[in-house]
Amino acid sequence: MTVSPSISPSRSNTLFERAGKYLTFELGNEVYGLPVLRVREVIGKQAAAKIPHAPEYVKGVINLRGKVIPIIDLRMKFGLEQVEQTDRTCIIVVQLNVRKSAILAGAVVDRVSEVVTIAAADIDDTPDFGDGTNLPYVLGIAKTKDGVRILVDPDVLFEVAQLMQMQAATQSQGDREGDE
Amino acid sequence: MNKPTAKLRPTKNSSRKPVSVPSEKKAKEEAVTQVESINNEFPLSDSPESEPVEANKETLNAEPQTLPTPPLSIAQTYLGGDLDLVADFTIEAREHIASIEKGLLTLEHHPDDKDAIHSVFRAFHSIKGLAGFLGLDQIQARTHEVETLLDGVRNGKHSLSSTLVDVVLHSTDYLSRSLRALDQSIGGEQVPLPALDIVLLGRVRDLQQGKITDTPASLTGGSGASSPPADASRARGVEASRVKVDTHKLDALVEMVGELVVAQSLLRHDERLKHDANAIIAHKVSHMARITSEVQQITMSMRMVPIGQLFQKTARLARDLSRKSGKSVDFQTSGEDTELDRNIVEELADPLVHMIRNSMDHGLEIPAERLKSGKNPTGKVGLRAAHQAGVIVVEVFDDGRGLDAQKIRARAIERGIISEGSEHTEEELYNLIFVPGFSTASEVTDVSGRGVGMDVVKRHIERLRGRIEIRSTLGQGTTFLLKLPLTLAIIDGLIVGVGGQRYILPIVAVKEMFRPSRDSLTSIEGTKEMVRLRDLVLPVVRLSERFNLAPSSHGLEESLLIITETESRQFCLVVDELVGRQEVVIKSLGELFGNVPGVAGGAILGDGQVGLILDPAGVFETQAREVLEEPVLV
Repeated sequence: MTVSPSISPSRSNTLFERAGKYLTFELGNEVYGLPVLRVREVIGKQAAAKIPHAPEYVKGVINLRGKVIPIIDLRMKFGLEQVEQTDRTCIIVVQLNVRKSAILAGAVVDRVSEVVTIAAADIDDTPDFGDGTNLPYVLGIAKTKDGVRILVDPDVLFEVAQLMQMQAATQSQGDREGDE
Repeated sequence: MNKPTAKLRPTKNSSRKPVSVPSEKKAKEEAVTQVESINNEFPLSDSPESEPVEANKETLNAEPQTLPTPPLSIAQTYLGGDLDLVADFTIEAREHIASIEKGLLTLEHHPDDKDAIHSVFRAFHSIKGLAGFLGLDQIQARTHEVETLLDGVRNGKHSLSSTLVDVVLHSTDYLSRSLRALDQSIGGEQVPLPALDIVLLGRVRDLQQGKITDTPASLTGGSGASSPPADASRARGVEASRVKVDTHKLDALVEMVGELVVAQSLLRHDERLKHDANAIIAHKVSHMARITSEVQQITMSMRMVPIGQLFQKTARLARDLSRKSGKSVDFQTSGEDTELDRNIVEELADPLVHMIRNSMDHGLEIPAERLKSGKNPTGKVGLRAAHQAGVIVVEVFDDGRGLDAQKIRARAIERGIISEGSEHTEEELYNLIFVPGFSTASEVTDVSGRGVGMDVVKRHIERLRGRIEIRSTLGQGTTFLLKLPLTLAIIDGLIVGVGGQRYILPIVAVKEMFRPSRDSLTSIEGTKEMVRLRDLVLPVVRLSERFNLAPSSHGLEESLLIITETESRQFCLVVDELVGRQEVVIKSLGELFGNVPGVAGGAILGDGQVGLILDPAGVFETQAREVLEEPVLV
């Protein structure tokens, strides 16, 4: 069974059909997978215009054929060490569902690997690390013959809700600075 | 899934019956759409088609056996018809109403203008025909009455009096209200058509029978409900053939054309093309550049509409006010053909109406007073529009009493807006009427003659990235000049480099640029910097600090200072370098970011990268309230 293309944006994460095709990408030694139906395209790295007061992992905005789209750096977001960008460094453009509309956003990753089909039986839930680790963006852990793939939910990964509150946050930050 | 379908089919049929005209084919098409929308159970599909189903259910419940005779509720009427057709009707009817108002105002001054009376008559006739076709009986009935009255005028049976014009204008108001109700109903709300105003209807009838008792029957018969409006619209003639296009599509086109321009400029400036000896390719590229710029011009012009229709609205208002206040007014307009972006025209409506009302209420004196001061008892109020050096200038003028700078000054001191001893030019004093809370309606009349919500007007104009200026001569009148950009989609900006990033500063906000000399710079507590330029001391705002960018290595003397002007203040923005000047297409940063303080949007620069467009007022406020609030006069 594959992910139906008619997944409505209103579906919550818990209802997300986990089995299906995933585009896998690498960050260091870790391999992640994004639902392929949410991936619009993969583009080369490019300079972004920084958004003032945005969290550090938000690299800024770039021009995607006339559309201005935000870019986040996944290494930075996951707190991995920063490495030199290579020829393989690229941006995966995904479609996010914000409220009822779909918007595009990009994630900078080390390299894109392949598209794999993952059956429901091969997907485990995130293991309990016992220390209260909370990884809400992880849909599950897929076991493939090449190793483990971490399946991620783009909406949660991009912290759509959090970014949208950024405005309020920067506003109050500005206020605080003003009061100093 | 079959159940609701089966239940609904008869509903549809029964609710159709009372509607007079729609063709069989239409009915079938509609049935198909409705079944589709029932079958489609995805939450995504909350398209307008699903609504008729709901409403028809209600109709069925309310009146299980619909007879052809009972008065139709609006829901039954239009839902029996085709929503799209009704929507088209409201659009077309509004155009007709506009031409009616225009015609009537012409007629009032030139009662013998045959073309005008014919065009008003035809417009009513068209509305009547369409309303009849859609089964909008109330509208049809009303327009029929007015049409009959107008026919009398056309045939010379009635004379064209102001009362008659009043009655006809009020009838168009009724139509406008009905159209609004229809629009809301299409949107899903249940709004009844406004009731027929019996008094008004009575007046129409009285006028009809004023000189003749028998209404021309031929007309009533001839204009059958099903008569197509085609002949009427063709007869209008002046309007060229048109296509109606969704504004979203138009916006998307404008955006993509913007990208096309950027793409071709990238190509044209490609280094390899310059070095290559192949002149043929270079020639082809420049040919493409010419075509591209032509395409851009045409696309931009598609968004442009003449300002005339807006003037007409205010002309109507001026007329009504003049009759109400007893001030006789000659309302003049010129430059109706001046074109500007439709978004601006829409946004301009409120401020213009407001300003005309102000001019009429407070600017113009009553006739007796005018006579006393040796003026023509009929006052002049009007609007002028013209292109001027890349901007549109709209003037609102009157020949009334003018602004009294000294009275404004006294008022401002009283309100604590300025201090007693401070010196101001007349222009500065005039501008005080834009300060919020300067005055209220009742008080201003004898003080300055202005001020009602002028701060709101100013905000409006500034939101359109325009400026407002006042010219006034005491006793001779006042002119407000609104300077507006040609379009909202494109902004003329300075591209500046700060901390390795490029930003676009709207050129309207830039007053002046300079490199400061060392002795013009001072600071408080070592960090709050100020610069003295001539007689102004201005706060220095470092963009790199406000935006938390890497601080620039060089000192202020090597930086470029840009005197930036916002609504209420001036400050010096520090930038590392000036990259250039470019017109850019304004793009939103997208929903993810909402409003970023200090940033008005993004734009794609000549090399294809994104630059952020600065919002000077936002930049100023993102931080630091300790910086001087106002420039200090020394």
